[in-house]
Amino acid sequence: MSTTAPKKKYRSQKAAKRASLAASYVVLTILSLIWIIPILWIVLTAFRNDLNESGEIIGTVTSNFFPNRPGFQNFADLFTFKMNGVEFVFLRWMGNTLLVSVVCCILSTFLILSVAYCISKLRFKMRKGFMKFSMILGLFPGFMSMIAIYYLLKSIGLSGNPDNPALSLVGLMIAYSAGAGMGFQVAKGFFDVIPNSLVESAKLDGCTNFKIFWKIILPLSKPIIIYTALMAFTGPWMDFIFAKVIIGSTNTAYWTVSVGLYSMLYSDKGNPDYFTKFAAGCVMVGIPITALFMFLQRYYVEGVTAGAVKG
Amino acid sequence: MAGLTLKHIYKVYENGHKAVNDFNINIEDKEFIVFVGPSGCGKSTTLRMIAGLEEITAGDLFIGDTLVNDMEPKDRDIAMVFQNYALYPHMSVYENMAFGLRNRKVPEEVIKEKVLNAAKILDIEDYLDRKPKAMSGGQRQRVALGRAIVRDPKVFLLDEPLSNLDAKLRAQMRTEITKLHKSLGTTFIYVTHDQVEAMTMGTRIVVMKLGYVQQIDTPMNLYNKPYNKFVAGFIGTPQMNFFNVRLNRVKDKVEVIFANGNVITVPYEVVAKAPDKYLHSGVEVILGVRPDHVQVSEKKTGLCGVVNVVEHLGNECIIYADLEGNVENAEEKAEEGMSKANSITIKTIEGIEVNQGDKIYLALDPHRIHLFDKETEITIIEEVPHASSFMGKVSAGKLSMFGKSVALPAAVKDALDGKGEVMVDIPPYAVVPGKDFALEVHDVEELGDVRLASLINGDRYLYAIVDKKVKKGDTYEFALHLDKVTFHAGDEVALAPIGEEEALIGTFSKADRRENRERVIDFFYNINGVPVLAPRENGYKMNQVEGNKCYKNNYKFVINRKAIKLAEEGIEGDVKEILDYGYISYAKLDVNGQEILVEAPVGLADSKVYISFAGEDVAVHSLDIDMRIC
Repeated sequence: MSTTAPKKKYRSQKAAKRASLAASYVVLTILSLIWIIPILWIVLTAFRNDLNESGEIIGTVTSNFFPNRPGFQNFADLFTFKMNGVEFVFLRWMGNTLLVSVVCCILSTFLILSVAYCISKLRFKMRKGFMKFSMILGLFPGFMSMIAIYYLLKSIGLSGNPDNPALSLVGLMIAYSAGAGMGFQVAKGFFDVIPNSLVESAKLDGCTNFKIFWKIILPLSKPIIIYTALMAFTGPWMDFIFAKVIIGSTNTAYWTVSVGLYSMLYSDKGNPDYFTKFAAGCVMVGIPITALFMFLQRYYVEGVTAGAVKG
Repeated sequence: MAGLTLKHIYKVYENGHKAVNDFNINIEDKEFIVFVGPSGCGKSTTLRMIAGLEEITAGDLFIGDTLVNDMEPKDRDIAMVFQNYALYPHMSVYENMAFGLRNRKVPEEVIKEKVLNAAKILDIEDYLDRKPKAMSGGQRQRVALGRAIVRDPKVFLLDEPLSNLDAKLRAQMRTEITKLHKSLGTTFIYVTHDQVEAMTMGTRIVVMKLGYVQQIDTPMNLYNKPYNKFVAGFIGTPQMNFFNVRLNRVKDKVEVIFANGNVITVPYEVVAKAPDKYLHSGVEVILGVRPDHVQVSEKKTGLCGVVNVVEHLGNECIIYADLEGNVENAEEKAEEGMSKANSITIKTIEGIEVNQGDKIYLALDPHRIHLFDKETEITIIEEVPHASSFMGKVSAGKLSMFGKSVALPAAVKDALDGKGEVMVDIPPYAVVPGKDFALEVHDVEELGDVRLASLINGDRYLYAIVDKKVKKGDTYEFALHLDKVTFHAGDEVALAPIGEEEALIGTFSKADRRENRERVIDFFYNINGVPVLAPRENGYKMNQVEGNKCYKNNYKFVINRKAIKLAEEGIEGDVKEILDYGYISYAKLDVNGQEILVEAPVGLADSKVYISFAGEDVAVHSLDIDMRIC
């Protein structure tokens, strides 16, 4: 044919790509600003040493975003300050929280991984039933059981025990880790990907179920162990509501960080004069978790099952 | 080193799906057995049941002489190689191979020796320190084999071990596994869906489909004597050609009439064992012929086809052609309801000059054709034929057949009275030495333990199982066991044969008793309210397979008729009739509404009798699903 078809105009692929990327970045930037501003605000507040007319540090400054007079006084106060007759033993609180978190982290991780292994690799009656049941239970907020747990712990002397207030921390550990097994879903998903033939092969090699878990499954599950441990650690580390209920407010020496921080938001006068110290405490709490995560994140990188099966 | 026996093995999943049905095989020590079949045929499930990774629903599994149904996988002394190798990725090759031995507390120096030895056999000595991910597929498969070798198992189980390898490596590993089998001298059970692997490696092959065993035989027998159309089509590449045909006997030839009107002839001897009903154009059958047994013919007769595609493979050439025939004839046949024949595949040696669109004439090797029933798809030319059919005439209480006339026993006389001409289907085992008839022996075939004689009657053969004395050319004198033959009058069955077994419906129960102050449980089959002591192991099996519902459900108890005896007491039955077959007689009993036949003397005068049998002679079947429990 002699007539040429009208030339279709093509847009440059590169330009199109650039335009779509630009749009994405704009949206992402807006989203991240919305997300990061409150965090930034808390961090900035922690460094706020603004003074009032009588030369004292202002506890609640909300009028300016950036501190007029930045400094570390709020952090220093955390360890020395006395408020409403309550002594700030911030280091002690950190220690209490660390102890509870570490113990819970170990217990919960073991429980979660064990339950996940059983659900993923073993076949037994009511397996599916249990999975559904636990999912439905998981839909209810955990603190629904709080009052029951409080009275149960109290009745066995693990909460509000005037003779031995330290036992409250043990009660707290139990409350945090006892139900941990219900959070098996993520780890189960990971174990599901490990070929069943590895488990069967180990069975033929003479392993018991526990040995399979310990010698075959766990060594292949570093990423999920790390994830589970991190979650199991951060839960108790940051929890306020159970800590507040179980520990109570009697003996400040056995408080956890979150209970202590919350006390800073109170004052007899009705307005929180110690908000800048609260912000400093928040930053302090965030430091170990951030460090822990940065240290452990490299284990996420590689899926270690490579080479188990055809590759 | 040990053999294996699988007896009536079933696998039924909780949702009622039957993955394996009545699997029976006796595997000799040092055999290389291959389970082959398409996906979902139950081959892997069977292997996993042998390994102990899957529970056996019903049946007995013996390794050597030990019943292992309930034994842990690790105690069965078996080793398994998985399709995806299943190597422990966090362990080195050495650790992978040593892991099983370490678990068994084998001394470290013995482990080292065994691992090094296995590594040497498999040529992986240089890789012992590597992790599996640093190895190629073939090397990983060797490690998987090595892990099995070091265990010195009684039985080697291999579950599609080569399907993840590329074609070249697969062929190489195939020969290596065969060599390994020879050098280890262990029983191998190998699962594959690849028929080439099955044919090249197995000493015997089990072909499975949808949970049922189709045929268990040597590779050559599977190829040459497929039991049904599925086996015929599954084994051999390219696949066997199938056509719907009709057979028509003309003297010593049989015409094979294709749907498109083409006709070829084969000698009668080839189809002599086929039941007579197939040989008179009346019934459509399936003709199977392998591409290797079709040749392009120089003569312009026989099957005619038009070439569609020609594949040159270097040493051989595969031709795909469409059959073309007498169009008028084809229409006529189509009217008769015959489905159209279509394409044919031919495998010939290279060098033949054919091109697309060429018209070619084809010759089939008449001795290599296979014929299958259209409904059942089972071969109609069985080695030991099911039965041979002959016409007989019944008059005045006498049966005239094979040129003789014999007096009929009462039972047959009553059933056939006034029927006149009858067709008699005679199974080979119903022909027994006697004086009633005499025919000349045309030939005697040795088929394993069986000697099959063909006796000439007119232009057809009566087949009989005979002893060593009978020779070709003899005149064989015989009688017929009339309770084993089928009489047809017209299209109806005038008298059906009497089978080997009887079935009664009943329940299962248990009872406690004290023996030397110890509690002993007895199990019973209850038929018509009468308990029959069941073997204790069967009692446990009932419990295991059926659970607690075993005491509530009804079961079918199948008993070999020979085991049922008339007794002084036992299960009560009303005598309905005495059936006298001359050499044997039966009493037809009504056991609470269930009719059964038992051997009984002709002179039995009682109207009520008691029967008894031992619990050991009873097979229990489930009524919910077709399954033999124990």
